[in-house]
Amino acid sequence: MKFCLRKSVPWFQVMKITFSQILISIMLSGLAYSNPLKAQDMLDKKVNMSLTNGTLLDAVTYLQKNNGIKFIYSKSIIDISQKISVDFENQPLKVVLDQLFKNNGIDYEVLKDRIILGKLPDANISTDDMIRTQGKITVAGQSAISIPVSGKIVDEKGLPVPGVAIVEKGTNNGVTTGVDGTFKLNVNGPNSVLVIAFIGYTKQEIVVGSQSTFNITLREDLQNLNEVIVVGYGTQRKSVTTGAISGVTARDFEDQPVTRLEQALQGRASGLTVTTNNGQPGSASQVRVRGITTFNNNDPLYVIDGVVVDSGGIGFLNESDIESIEVLKDAVSASIYGTRAAAGVILVTTKKGKAGRTQINYSGYYGISGPARKLDLLNATQYATLINEATVAGGGSLIYANPAALGTGTDWQSLIFNNSAKEQSHDLSVSGGTDKSTYYTSFGYLDQEGIVATPISHYTRVNFRVNETFKPAKWINFGENIGYSYEKNIGLGNTNSVFGGPLSSAINLDPITPAVQTDPTLASGSPYSTNPVLRNPQGFPYGISTVVGQEITNPLAYIQTHLGNYNWAHNVVGNAFVELNPLKGLALRSTVGSKVAFYGNESFTPIYYLNSSTSNLVNTNYNRGMNRIFNWNLENTASYTRSFGKHNLNVLLGQGAYVDNDIISVGTTNYGLPVNNFNDASLNFPLPAVQRIGYGGENQEHHVSSLFARLNYDYNETYILQAVVRRDGSSRFGANNKYGNFPSFSLGWVPTKEAFWPTNNVVDFLKFRGGYGVTGNDNINDNAFLSTIGGGRNYSFGTGDTFLTGNSPNAPSNPNLKWEQTAQTNVGFDAVLFHDFNLTLEWYKKKTTGILQQVNIPGYVGAVGLPYANVGDMENTGQELQLGYHKKIGDFKIGFDGNVSHLKNLVTRLSPGQAFLGGATFQSISGNITQSVPGQPYGSYYGYQTLGIFQTQADVDNYVSSKTGQKIQPNAKPGDFKFADLNGDGIITGSDRTYLGSSFPKWTYGLTFNAAYKNFDVVVFGQGQGGNKIFQGLRRLDINSANYQTAALGRWTGPGTSNTYPRLTTSDLNNNFTNNSNFYLQDGTFFRIRTIQLGYTFDKNILSKIGLQRVRIYVTGQNLVTFTKYTGYDPDLAGSVDQGIYPQARTFILGLSAGF
Amino acid sequence: MIPACKKSFLTVTPKGTALESAYYRNQAEAFTGLVAVYDVVGYQGSNDVTKLNTMDAGSDDQITGGGGPSDVNELQLFSTNRHDENQGPSGTLWSSSYQGVFRANVLLSKLPGVPMDASLKARYADESVALRAYFYFDLVRLFKNIPLILKPLAANEIDNVTQVAPSAVYTQIENDLQSVITNKNIPNTINVTTDGGRLTMGAVHALLGKIYLYDKKYTQAAAEFAQVNGTPGQLNATYGYQLLPSFASLWNVHNKFNSESILEIAHSSKSGGNWGCIACSEGNILDIMTAPRNYVAIKPSAPDYVSGWSFFDFTPEFFNFIHYDPRNAATVANLDSLVKAGVASYSGSPTAYQNTGFYLNKFMGHKADLSTGGGNFELNFAQDVYEIRLADTYLMEAEALIMGGGDLARAAALMTAVHTRAYNDGVTHPLPATMAALKNERRAELAGEGHRWFDLVRWGDAPTVLAFKGFKANHNEILPIPANDLNATKLKQSKEWGGTL
Repeated sequence: MKFCLRKSVPWFQVMKITFSQILISIMLSGLAYSNPLKAQDMLDKKVNMSLTNGTLLDAVTYLQKNNGIKFIYSKSIIDISQKISVDFENQPLKVVLDQLFKNNGIDYEVLKDRIILGKLPDANISTDDMIRTQGKITVAGQSAISIPVSGKIVDEKGLPVPGVAIVEKGTNNGVTTGVDGTFKLNVNGPNSVLVIAFIGYTKQEIVVGSQSTFNITLREDLQNLNEVIVVGYGTQRKSVTTGAISGVTARDFEDQPVTRLEQALQGRASGLTVTTNNGQPGSASQVRVRGITTFNNNDPLYVIDGVVVDSGGIGFLNESDIESIEVLKDAVSASIYGTRAAAGVILVTTKKGKAGRTQINYSGYYGISGPARKLDLLNATQYATLINEATVAGGGSLIYANPAALGTGTDWQSLIFNNSAKEQSHDLSVSGGTDKSTYYTSFGYLDQEGIVATPISHYTRVNFRVNETFKPAKWINFGENIGYSYEKNIGLGNTNSVFGGPLSSAINLDPITPAVQTDPTLASGSPYSTNPVLRNPQGFPYGISTVVGQEITNPLAYIQTHLGNYNWAHNVVGNAFVELNPLKGLALRSTVGSKVAFYGNESFTPIYYLNSSTSNLVNTNYNRGMNRIFNWNLENTASYTRSFGKHNLNVLLGQGAYVDNDIISVGTTNYGLPVNNFNDASLNFPLPAVQRIGYGGENQEHHVSSLFARLNYDYNETYILQAVVRRDGSSRFGANNKYGNFPSFSLGWVPTKEAFWPTNNVVDFLKFRGGYGVTGNDNINDNAFLSTIGGGRNYSFGTGDTFLTGNSPNAPSNPNLKWEQTAQTNVGFDAVLFHDFNLTLEWYKKKTTGILQQVNIPGYVGAVGLPYANVGDMENTGQELQLGYHKKIGDFKIGFDGNVSHLKNLVTRLSPGQAFLGGATFQSISGNITQSVPGQPYGSYYGYQTLGIFQTQADVDNYVSSKTGQKIQPNAKPGDFKFADLNGDGIITGSDRTYLGSSFPKWTYGLTFNAAYKNFDVVVFGQGQGGNKIFQGLRRLDINSANYQTAALGRWTGPGTSNTYPRLTTSDLNNNFTNNSNFYLQDGTFFRIRTIQLGYTFDKNILSKIGLQRVRIYVTGQNLVTFTKYTGYDPDLAGSVDQGIYPQARTFILGLSAGF
Repeated sequence: MIPACKKSFLTVTPKGTALESAYYRNQAEAFTGLVAVYDVVGYQGSNDVTKLNTMDAGSDDQITGGGGPSDVNELQLFSTNRHDENQGPSGTLWSSSYQGVFRANVLLSKLPGVPMDASLKARYADESVALRAYFYFDLVRLFKNIPLILKPLAANEIDNVTQVAPSAVYTQIENDLQSVITNKNIPNTINVTTDGGRLTMGAVHALLGKIYLYDKKYTQAAAEFAQVNGTPGQLNATYGYQLLPSFASLWNVHNKFNSESILEIAHSSKSGGNWGCIACSEGNILDIMTAPRNYVAIKPSAPDYVSGWSFFDFTPEFFNFIHYDPRNAATVANLDSLVKAGVASYSGSPTAYQNTGFYLNKFMGHKADLSTGGGNFELNFAQDVYEIRLADTYLMEAEALIMGGGDLARAAALMTAVHTRAYNDGVTHPLPATMAALKNERRAELAGEGHRWFDLVRWGDAPTVLAFKGFKANHNEILPIPANDLNATKLKQSKEWGGTL
């Protein structure tokens, strides 16, 4: 079709949809629809015609004569004597007719081989959207078309750009450039203005004047003011947005080794705190939008292509399919998703096909990963020395007679780390379409080896996506977006856990134990001879520590016991929609969305002996679990858009029904399989029924029903107003409070559009905006408003070694449970300064009231669980700044984007009488190491304040309470911590603990620097955070003989040796290590250079000769440098305790992307 | 098309989860309620804390041990009397007993409306009342100043609960047990194959006797115990009680509900218990806790202990005390002698925390007894624990007689019976009816069974005997009311813990 926009531009520039682009495509396709399909051949006929100062009649006559086209018309109805000047060279008849007639108020219709002329009922066939953009459009065509103009449009490199729309301003008179970038158009006269618009480029307006040929160079749009962003249930032009929305587009992360959506957001969107759960390939990261909003689930709501999906499973998305991500941060933008929007909403839009020629794109990379950091642990000699010292101090005798003889011993870390873990990704997409239908289909493959214990750390993902739209008639369109993924995840299991797993074992195992016991005498003795120990390929047993036991085991042997086990998942997430446009400006849309997922695991436990307390000696077992999710939702919306002069109005009404948590699961564990490895294991082995233990269950569905409405109004894009209300009902509440109402209201003002605003070179654009709104949360357990009977309260009667089922009521019910409400005020401004700087500044205050929480009822009530109540309040206050600078000077292009977010979180209320809300616990440290109280950030560290170390007995004796006159720590010895007696009662007790900081960063920021010169480009992306602390708990406290980090070499050994690291002793009566104190808390501040990429794009001229549109090759270094004082593996971790997080890999990548 | 418009769309009926309002419809459901009451007897907390192991840790005979100075820190703190209302075993012991009280109260309130056999209903009710008395007895002797709640609390009553005088609790539970005895709804004996573990009338008498003993009502105590004990050394035909000939056979895992067992905490290896919910497991965690760390049998002659966590070792002082007692071998496992003989190895001195080498043999897990069912093997040992056994009631009756000026000849006969059984050599080994002899005999007979701390406190010996563990008179005799129950309630802390009660 001639009237479709071409897309022979680099595909990454197509990501951004500019408003005028949409306008033009609507307008031009509107023209196309005015003709019946059958007439297409005739309208495609090429015509040459040149007329100067003629009339329409002359043109009609000419066409009848030279091209054999017959016209039927009535002179009384149409004025065919209008003056025209036209110059058409080899143009399709349609173009010619449109310019001749439609622009002059005359409609035409093709009937067989004739063209019937009639009066156009409303010459302005443009949509309201068009009116909004053009502002001044009026019914056109009353005067004659008189001037033919032509020209060529090139990009900044001088290459012709096809598919650029050229429209005469104030009319619907327009064409698009051909393959060679040229165009021809007849305009009204010298006063006409040409509007040249193209995706990714600044819109230009050129007065025709006396010129007749135009050589126009497109300028890349660096400020994106006309960008259209996705908002709830629609799109909005950035210039009239009043909410706080952070956006990331494909351009920001394409060709970067981003394998998950969260990674695309980390450091690139302000107001977000993205932290990594672990570096295991395929692992999710934790995303927090503007802090922690509730004591419950703080995961944002994910909406993919307009369909709400549960927050749990975003991993199925292929990042290459993502066109844009918008984060709705404030209530103004999020309240349209009222129910579950309190923790923020993340809208993901997948790529769509565009009318034009078929695009085939490939992108792929291959990389090598390794750990960025190894911990410094004691070697065998150092270890033996320190263990000797601690044992003697604890009253024991020397264990290792000659530490020096032990040498360096085993470096367990090096045995589990892989410095050349492979990673590869391939994506192929095909897209295209016509003005009647578009398609985008893609295939993706990702394969990543883990850097820790690679045989049991591996992730594979296969994606397939089909997005299609159909528009069979002007008044209807429909389509679907469906993504499928398969994931296979081989995981370590225990990460950030002290209970085993290769990382924790490598940290805690003594370096004296050999990795493999090669001494034949020892290898043939106990425990190796008497137990099913694991052996290496040469038949030697893996070494078993005689001093470090429990779950801490030889990681090489551990790997062997887990070989083959994996988790798998099939996900189908998609939606289908139909939209009707029965009246101008009215869109009725119905969408049905669904997530169907099947997932499960296969795991085999062989007979093994890792050490005396970690073994499986009786039965092998094989576990297979399978689960199915079927979530669906249905939404119907009606939106009406209308403009009255400069008044622009959009009204949205909607209704939705949502069902999620529909999960069923079954599984079986078969015990006593006659094989001893995963590959031979099968559920087919005939086993007695008692050895086949099946289980299963189903979750309770969560239903939400909603009604919502939104009003958008602006006057001349200067005064902007938005109001939203949503009413949600949830199955998680009883009849007393089933429904919640979530309103929001916002205003915007653009002074730069005011008449009084002086023309200047400093402020090009300025918008002030502010809003207030309420969002909600129902993310609590089902049935919390009911009194339920719980099971598992069993007891064994009789001698049969069996048990009987016992049931009793759980917690007292609370039928008055109601919604958590988060009210948020947001003010901010957007500005374009000095043409090249984009600045956005926001301030917000977010207050959550009635946080749904289990209340600590007195123990004497005798409940098993605790009842829920709306008891807590919490506040987040923050500021966000985004600054962008983009400039092009000749062949040199430079860009800088930075964002900084500051956040302050405070718990403001707990239930009456509840002193604190318990948080994390750590091993054998008594009580919580984090807890929440009013006046402190949520989950603050809580512990003792150390005042240094007692250097001498005199120090101990002199540490006397002013209240009691007694020694505060009478039993302390030199080398022990001096703890602050904060309550002044003269002794150190739990009441002396205080708040020592928060794990949640106060500051997060990201910086991206881009530069390009001719064919070369470079990207540097860094991200960091600050103001948080991390509890560094890598060492097992309950195993006295566990290894230490080399920091222990700096322990106290005598007066003056250390004031921070206490003496080592096996009997820690002063609780130096078992009191949570600032000893464990380290600064979590870091800045990480996440990506450095160097790319080279081949010349188009060369490529076009071999049929390629675009080829770019690049090398990338990922996680190259991290600036931090933190002493664990990785300061980028979710949660408050580091017990051996799986570190993120440092990766080097070679990549290629190509367009055909 | 628009399901959201249907009102029922927002009402999701719970599946597989009964609502309290629709439960207790028949005898079977009432029985699950009764089982739930029994479930709390011998409660094992998520922090590995039980009443028995707390008392072992607090005893002068044992250390806490474990992997390090804060392994199961609640017990470490209690063992050294560093616990307070914020930390220590108080919370677990307090709330678990009240869970039992709650479940008993719920069942008692529901039973009248359950259509079922009247005699069964009466038995369930009396079992609930007697178990409630058992829970309150633990509460009052551990915490002294406690709320006495006799029916489920309505939501608006929760915050208005107050404590009562300890005497009121004693009166209530003594009266409750007396009425249970009068009602005769609980049988004298039961078929242990199917019902072992359920209360018998003998157990009710024993419990009441013990309560009287702690309440210093020695005459009544002796009378109740006499019902249970019958003629010393002879079979009690009414309840079927008789001392086992062999002391060691008491610790045979398969010797459940034997003739010496009066009130036994039952365990099973087949409940599939896992770390997700220790309280939900029917297995006994004492077996894994007491077994030695990193135990490896080197020679076939080595005992087949599992490798465990090295808790509750006996002190060398206790070993010296019991070394030449015939109960030594069954009570103490001398691990270091095994190591010396080259038979076995384990994480012993000097690396292991507090290790003495003298392990609690009565409960150490054996490989032969490893669960063949699902779950974590550590949590699925089937060994039962005696809450009250006949040797205990013999000695308690003797104590009541001595303290209350009763029949000293009978007291001596009771003590002698216990002592003689220990030897099991066909010779009578007499003991005099003195408190000194009685104290020694209880210490030797009941070592590691969770009685010693209570005995020392009851006798008033704790401040001296436990002084080396930091025990202070008028302070450590009771546990502090846990902080959680002082917050936003009308409860007050006991004066022993700085409160006003």
